[in-house]
Amino acid sequence: MRTKQEDLIRYKDGNLYCELADIWIDPSKPVKRALITHAHFDHFTFGCEEYLSTNETARLLKERVGDNIKTKTFDYGEEFKINGINISFHPSGHILGSSQIRFIFAEEKWLITGDFKLQKDDTCKQYEIVKTDYLISECTFGLPIFKWDETNKIANDISKWITNSPEKTSLLFCYSLGKAQRLLNEISQTNFKGNIYSHGSIYKMNNCYKELGIDIKDTIKIENKKKIDELKGSLILLPPSLSKGSYLKNFKNIQTAFASGWMSLRALRKRSGYDKGFAISDHADWDGILEVVKNSEAKNVFFHHGDSEALSKYLIEKESINVLFFGE
Amino acid sequence: MSLKKFSELFADLDSSNSTNNKIEILNRYFLSNEPIDNSWAIFLLTRKSNKRFISGRSLKNLFSQVYEYPQWLIDTCYLKVGDSAEVITLLLKNKNISKNNKLSNISLNELLSKTLPVLSKLNEEQKNFEIKNIWETLPEDDHLIFNKILTGTFRVGVSIGLITKSISKLINIDEEIISHRLMGDFKPSIGSYEFLIDKNINLEELNSKPFPFLLANTFEDKIFKDSINNFQFEWKYDGIRIQLIKRSENVLVWTRGQELVNKSFPELVEKMSYIKDDFVLDGELLVWNFKKQIAFDFSFLQKRLNRKSPTRSIQIKYPIIFIAYDLLEINRRDIREIKLENRRIKLEKYFSKWQNKTENDISDIFKICDLINPKDWSEALTYKEKSRENNTEGLIIKKKNSKYTSGRKKGIWWKYKVDPMQLDAVLIYAKGGSGRRAGLYTDYSFALWKDQKLIKFASAYSGLTNIEIKELDKWIRKNTIEKFGPVRSLKPEMVFEISFEKIQISKRHKSGIAVRFPRITKWRKDKKIYDADSLENAYELMRKIS
Repeated sequence: MRTKQEDLIRYKDGNLYCELADIWIDPSKPVKRALITHAHFDHFTFGCEEYLSTNETARLLKERVGDNIKTKTFDYGEEFKINGINISFHPSGHILGSSQIRFIFAEEKWLITGDFKLQKDDTCKQYEIVKTDYLISECTFGLPIFKWDETNKIANDISKWITNSPEKTSLLFCYSLGKAQRLLNEISQTNFKGNIYSHGSIYKMNNCYKELGIDIKDTIKIENKKKIDELKGSLILLPPSLSKGSYLKNFKNIQTAFASGWMSLRALRKRSGYDKGFAISDHADWDGILEVVKNSEAKNVFFHHGDSEALSKYLIEKESINVLFFGE
Repeated sequence: MSLKKFSELFADLDSSNSTNNKIEILNRYFLSNEPIDNSWAIFLLTRKSNKRFISGRSLKNLFSQVYEYPQWLIDTCYLKVGDSAEVITLLLKNKNISKNNKLSNISLNELLSKTLPVLSKLNEEQKNFEIKNIWETLPEDDHLIFNKILTGTFRVGVSIGLITKSISKLINIDEEIISHRLMGDFKPSIGSYEFLIDKNINLEELNSKPFPFLLANTFEDKIFKDSINNFQFEWKYDGIRIQLIKRSENVLVWTRGQELVNKSFPELVEKMSYIKDDFVLDGELLVWNFKKQIAFDFSFLQKRLNRKSPTRSIQIKYPIIFIAYDLLEINRRDIREIKLENRRIKLEKYFSKWQNKTENDISDIFKICDLINPKDWSEALTYKEKSRENNTEGLIIKKKNSKYTSGRKKGIWWKYKVDPMQLDAVLIYAKGGSGRRAGLYTDYSFALWKDQKLIKFASAYSGLTNIEIKELDKWIRKNTIEKFGPVRSLKPEMVFEISFEKIQISKRHKSGIAVRFPRITKWRKDKKIYDADSLENAYELMRKIS
C-alpha cells in the first residue's frame, strides 16, 4: 500500500500540489509558482508570482488578467526541469492552448489530464495520448448517460433551429472562451448564412484566437441599442451570465438556447429556463474518459472535478484498474 | 405516418415555452397527419389513459438483463436523470445499438394498436426479446418516445385545455363545444378524432359526456367591497367533485378527473335511477356520518374509491352521500345559461318533488347542499372559522347572477379556505427528486421535539423557490451524516415552517399523528432548532380543533 507521503502529486487545500517541485496546478489561491492547464476562470487565480503554461494559454491569461503578470511559456512536448522533475505540456483538446501536464521523477510518470475532450474541434490541437503510471483525470461527465453526438450534427441542429424561425432573433448562450469559438467555426460550415453577432466578452476572445492563428468566422460586436429589425433571423452569441435579468429586454421576439453538455438531460434542460438546449461539450463523455484511462496505460487512477463514485466502481469491477482516492 | 413524426412533435412541444407556440405546433401536426395518429397523439399527450405496458423499474431491469449491464450503474444514472424512460434512452444511445441495422418505420397507430397489445400478452422472456428487437431496429431519435409509451410517462406541458384551444382554432368552433367533446372517455380511433373536428354541432352525440366543470378560484379580498347579498354561500366539502347524469335510463357518475366511477358506487347509481326526470347535477360525493350529519374524513372516501365493486358490508361501513349544489340540465334542457339563483330555485323545486314522488327512499344517499346566510362579511368570516367543526374546508362563494361556464374563470366562484395549521419543524432527511427536480435533493422530512429527541412527523416537497431549493441542496450535500441509497440523514440545523390542512391521530406513524397536505411555507433561518415545536404542541393543536 502507498502512503500519502509517497505521492508525487497530492491534494492540498483543495488544489493539486507537487511538493518536491513546490509547484501548484491550477491553484484557486495566489501561490508562488502555478502551472496552468488552460485559461478558464476556474483554473487560475489572480496574484500568483509566476504562471507556467503553453504560449496560447499565456496569451489568453493576459487577455483576462492583464499584461503585467509574469509568465513562462513552453511548447507542447517541450520538457523542462524543476528540482529534478521533468515536466511537459501536451494537448488536451479542451480549448485553445489547453494541456495535460506530465511529471517524470525517478522513472515514475504522473499525468494530469486537465480538462479534456476527444471530439473533433478545429479551434485547438487534438488530444494527444500520453502514457503514464499515475493518471489524474477530470470526470465532469463520468456517467454512461453522457454520450456526445458528432459536432457537425449539433451544428446542423443549431442551424435548423435558427432558420426555422426566421422572424425571431436567436440567442445562443455559451462560454465565451472555447465553446463560442468552436461553435462559430462549426456553424460557419452549415447552411446558416445569416449574420452572427457576439457579445463583447466573446468578441474579445474571437480576436485572441485569430491572433493566435485560428481561423474564426467574423462576427459583429453586439451594441446595446441595435435596431431590432436588423437582428431578425440572426444568431447572437452571449455568455450564460446574461441569460437572467434585464439584458434580454434589449431584444424583441427572441428564442433562447444554451450550448452545454448538461443539456443532454431533460430535467436540467427544463430547469435551465432556456427554450432549447444543445448538448455539446468541451469535456469528454463517459466513453471518452474510459478511452483515455485505457490508452494512458496507467495502473493507478485518481479522479477529480466530478462525481467519480460510479466511474471508480466501474473501473475497479469491470476493468480491474486501481482507482485511488485523494486524501488531504 | 411514422413514429418519427410523433417524436418530433414531442421534441418541438418540449422546447417551447409559449402557449401560442404550442398550439401552432399541434395544429401543424394535426393538419399533416392521419386522423388515427392524431387521435393517438391526443390520447397520449393528455394522458387520457394511465395505462403503462411496463413499469419504470421493470424497464431498467429488462435493460440490465438484456445487455448484461450493472443494475447499480443504471440506478446511479437514474438519480441524475429522474425518469426511467429517459435513462434507458440515454444508455441505449451509449450502446449505439441501432447503428448498423435496417431501421423500421413503424407508425404510431401500428405500435399502439398492434405491436404493444401483442407484446403485453407475452411471457417475460419473449417480452424482453421483443423489446430488445424493437430497440435495435428503431431509429435512435425514436427511443425516448417508445420508452415513454412503454412506461406511460408523458409530461410535456400539454393539457386538455391546450388541446381544446388548438382544435377550436383549427376548425373555428367555440372552445366550450370542443371541451365538451373531449370530456369523459376518449378511445383513439379515426372516429373519435373526426368527431372532435366535426364542424357540425350535434348535441345528441354528447349525451354520455359530462359538461366541462366550473372551477373555483382562490378568494380575493376585493370581494369584500361587493354587497354580501350578491353571493351564495356554501360549505366547502372535502370529498370528490361529481357530475351526476341521468339521461333516459342511464345514470353516469363522472369525477372531475373525468373518470366514470359507476362501479365504485353501485348503490348511488341504483337509487338515482328511480328518479323519473332526466337531469345533470353538479355536486360532491362524501362518506357521511348520519349520526352527526357531517362528512367523515377524506380517508374514508378513499376506502371506497379504491374498490371497483364494493361488497354490501363495505357499503354499510362506509355509507356515501351525494350532495348536489347545482342543476345544469333538466329533462334535456341545458340550463347552464340561466342565473345561479334561478338554477338554485329549480334545484330546490325538483329535489322536493323527487323526495316526495319517488317510490323508493332516496334521502339516505342524495341531498342538496345547505346554504349559509351570513348577514355581513364579518359573519361570513365567522362561518369560515367554524368550518373545521363540521369537517369542511371553508366556504365556497358563488355569484348569484353567474352562468355556469367552464374552467377556472375569474369572478364567478371562489373558495375561501380556513387558514392552515402550522408548526415549526427541523429538517432531518432529504431525498433526491425526480422529473424536473432530478439531481437535486427536493423531498424533505421534518421532525418535532419529544423528550429532547427529534421525531419525524411529516414529509413535504413543495413550497420552496427554485433558488431556495438550490441553496438547500448545497447545504444538504455538505451536512450529510449518512447516506441510505437515495436518502441522506442530515445534521439537524435547519428549521422550516410547515403548514397543513388537517391533523389526526395515526397509529402508523412513529409520531402518533398524521397531517394532510403538509407543505413548506417558510424557511425559518431566524430560528435555531431548539425554537422548533414539540410533538406536545401538535397534540395541543389537535385538541383545540376537535
